[in-house]
Amino acid sequence: MCTGSPSSNGSEEGSSASDQQPQQEVQEAEQPSTRTTHAVVPAATSEEILAEYGSNLKLLECNSQVAELLTILRDKNTTRSDFKFYADRLIRLVIEESLNQLPYTHCDVETPTGAIYEGLKYRSGNCGVSIIRSGEAMEQGLRDCCRSIRIGKILVESDANTHEARVVYARFPDDIGSRQVLLMYPIMSTGNTVLQAVNVLREHGVPESCIILSNLFCTPMAARTVVNAFPKLKILTSELHPVAPNHFGQKYFGTD
Amino acid sequence: MSSITFLCSKSAHNSNNNNNKSSSDVPKSAFAAASAGLLTIATHQQQQQQQLQQQHHQQSKVKATAAKTNGHIDDRSDATEPLYVDPYADQGSGLPGELNCCPASPTTVPAKASLESPLKRSGRRQRTTSIGNQTTTANPSECIIRANNRTIYTAGRPPWYNCAGQQVEPFVIGICGGSASGKTTVAEKIIESLDVPWVTLLSMDCFYKILNEKQHEQALINEYNFDHPDAFDIELLLDVLTKLKEGRKVEVPVYNFVTHGRESQTKTMYGANVIIFEGILTFHSPEVLKLLDMKIFVDTDPDIRLARRLKRDISQRGRDLKGVLKQYLNMVKPSYCNYIAPTMAHADIIVPRGGENKVAIHLIVQHVHTQLQLRGFKLRETLANSYKDQPMPHSLHLLHPTPQIKGLHTFIRCRNTSRDEFIFYSKRLIRLVIEYALSLFPFKKTTVETPQGVLYEGKRMESRKICGVSILRAGETMEQAVCDVCKDIRIGKILIQTNLKTGEPELYYLRLPKDIKDYKVILMDATVATGAAAMMAIRVLLDHDVPEDNIILASLLMAEIGVHSIAYAFPKVKIVTSALDPEINSKFYVIPGIGNFGDRYFGTEPSDEY
Repeated sequence: MCTGSPSSNGSEEGSSASDQQPQQEVQEAEQPSTRTTHAVVPAATSEEILAEYGSNLKLLECNSQVAELLTILRDKNTTRSDFKFYADRLIRLVIEESLNQLPYTHCDVETPTGAIYEGLKYRSGNCGVSIIRSGEAMEQGLRDCCRSIRIGKILVESDANTHEARVVYARFPDDIGSRQVLLMYPIMSTGNTVLQAVNVLREHGVPESCIILSNLFCTPMAARTVVNAFPKLKILTSELHPVAPNHFGQKYFGTD
Repeated sequence: MSSITFLCSKSAHNSNNNNNKSSSDVPKSAFAAASAGLLTIATHQQQQQQQLQQQHHQQSKVKATAAKTNGHIDDRSDATEPLYVDPYADQGSGLPGELNCCPASPTTVPAKASLESPLKRSGRRQRTTSIGNQTTTANPSECIIRANNRTIYTAGRPPWYNCAGQQVEPFVIGICGGSASGKTTVAEKIIESLDVPWVTLLSMDCFYKILNEKQHEQALINEYNFDHPDAFDIELLLDVLTKLKEGRKVEVPVYNFVTHGRESQTKTMYGANVIIFEGILTFHSPEVLKLLDMKIFVDTDPDIRLARRLKRDISQRGRDLKGVLKQYLNMVKPSYCNYIAPTMAHADIIVPRGGENKVAIHLIVQHVHTQLQLRGFKLRETLANSYKDQPMPHSLHLLHPTPQIKGLHTFIRCRNTSRDEFIFYSKRLIRLVIEYALSLFPFKKTTVETPQGVLYEGKRMESRKICGVSILRAGETMEQAVCDVCKDIRIGKILIQTNLKTGEPELYYLRLPKDIKDYKVILMDATVATGAAAMMAIRVLLDHDVPEDNIILASLLMAEIGVHSIAYAFPKVKIVTSALDPEINSKFYVIPGIGNFGDRYFGTEPSDEY
């Protein structure tokens, strides 16, 4: 199935490597000791992202704990059970943060002690849309946060020869046009899949600004593609790194 | 709230009321395990104790113990289940997990506190049904019978440290006197009249040296001198007593009078407000003398002592007149004259006639009370009124107040939220708090290989040794989240409740992983108002040798005052919370707050107001 088009991997790595060239050299000069047979490729920081992609691309706050989750998911020696466990934790954090982007109104409530708490209330009428197959890994995370949320699905397949992505299946709630949509797709390497998915959503009447893309790993190239195509789309990811962990789907679902 | 007391039986060589049912029918080690930490001791030659005597003993205990009741108001919302009866007490033998158990205190207080009516709850919050109509636990005599040989507290342990979280030294009473002079009776009478929870009774018998084969044989023919100072391991004794005085947890050896060796299991003792140390040579070592705050010598007429000894040894220990007299004349008597009687000079008080001397005991108790009052254990009030308008401490780590967190708080704070939703949203919030708390542990950089063939520089936690400790009851709600984020994590529990009468937190129960000192600890409580309970829990952890900077206190909601108090007392403890509220009301509830978190989560809300 389509897990971020592994077939396009080679060409993509070439392009991203050239993108990152200057930065990488600085990094290596600072830490020559970490250099072994392979180069350590650094991830982009949130300041760089804000400068380059604008405020609609958000990075999960990268504290040590998140860094550890990313490290475990990247490590090729991680067992599958660990992988799933830590992936689910990261997904939960990303989903929580995505929900944080939803619009809300102020709302005061009375607490049991009789005092007033100035709180807020999210608007109802949200829904999730997962891109098959790896996007489905994030559905449980969403369910854990919103018990009865509606979830639509999109299947995007990329042609083995042309690397061109096309939508072969889509099923949404009827009134999706009036909802805020949480689009779930964990790995973005080229961004083509997401472009197609967003196009389908727009065809169903969802405004670009009402879509929040929840993502775990994103390459700079994909980020650029998506941001350029849909400037009003909100993107939330946990890491912007030139190499995408394309093994995610296989390892999570155990089909490697 | 009521009564959990330790019914203690002192083993003894020189006590006339040692009888422990289980010591006669349960293997020694198992017994020691079962009672780990409960005051027990047992093990002795006199295994063939008479049933009659047991019964008599138990009955006297029954009289001494009774239920103390107080309702609970608790900012931390703990509290419905008021009674704790050691779950293992009626099983008679040790369970595997049991060695990890650190019961709050090994000893015993047959209490007088019992005197208030169980229904008197001073018009404050009426607690749910579990008080008063739980026959199994509310009935003290049943408690004792079921709990066979121990485990009935009168009350939880009140603070044993001051506002700054520093230990206040316990008051140590030394009781010395010849064999069969009635030291134990005096100790018990003092404990009874003292009415202070958390008294630890330490017997010198635990510190007999291990005998070699030759000495063992001598002992069998009454030729080994158990009354000589050399028979005791004074160094070990000094070590244990010093630690107890510092309020730390100690492992007290359990001496087996049959093998004349130490059991492999030890008895865990844990700091107390009053420590009573009794034995025939209590005043012998000058170092030990220095540790004693009050020295009592029980001076009983030698004829009476001999008479008691004869009666006891012959009727209870199945020995013959000749042997007893030989031992008495050759060893007990000379030792008394040489080593015990001269130490009378060190005594502050000499009690003639032992336990029957009510006047003397009354005087002693009065003195101890005065001393305890001088040390002062009034915390909550002080905590609630200090630190106004100060900048928040650095050890506070507040979750970023995102709309998301505020939205979750709106749900759980609203008084009309149904329990189903309350649980759901508080769980979500707890998960975020725990994830954030984990990020505060030390991490180290590491480089891993990826399946894509590049190296990836990331971070790993320095140590995987993390354990969670929840402050019952509300803190328990956070355990699931900890288990969800850390695989196979160990969870300890501490039960602290507020005494309605004094308003002070009291420690009732704790059970922690065995090597907790090697762990990073996430201490969990749902809400923190004055911080009194959290401070007590932190103090418990410190007493178990957990370094202060290994502790993270995680909670959903804290009052500023609580944060200040904790940060002032324990500056290295990291404090994590998802919201900070400005004040607390006169009943120590956070304002605007959540209400009683535990009650709302577990569905045990009382019907009346806050």
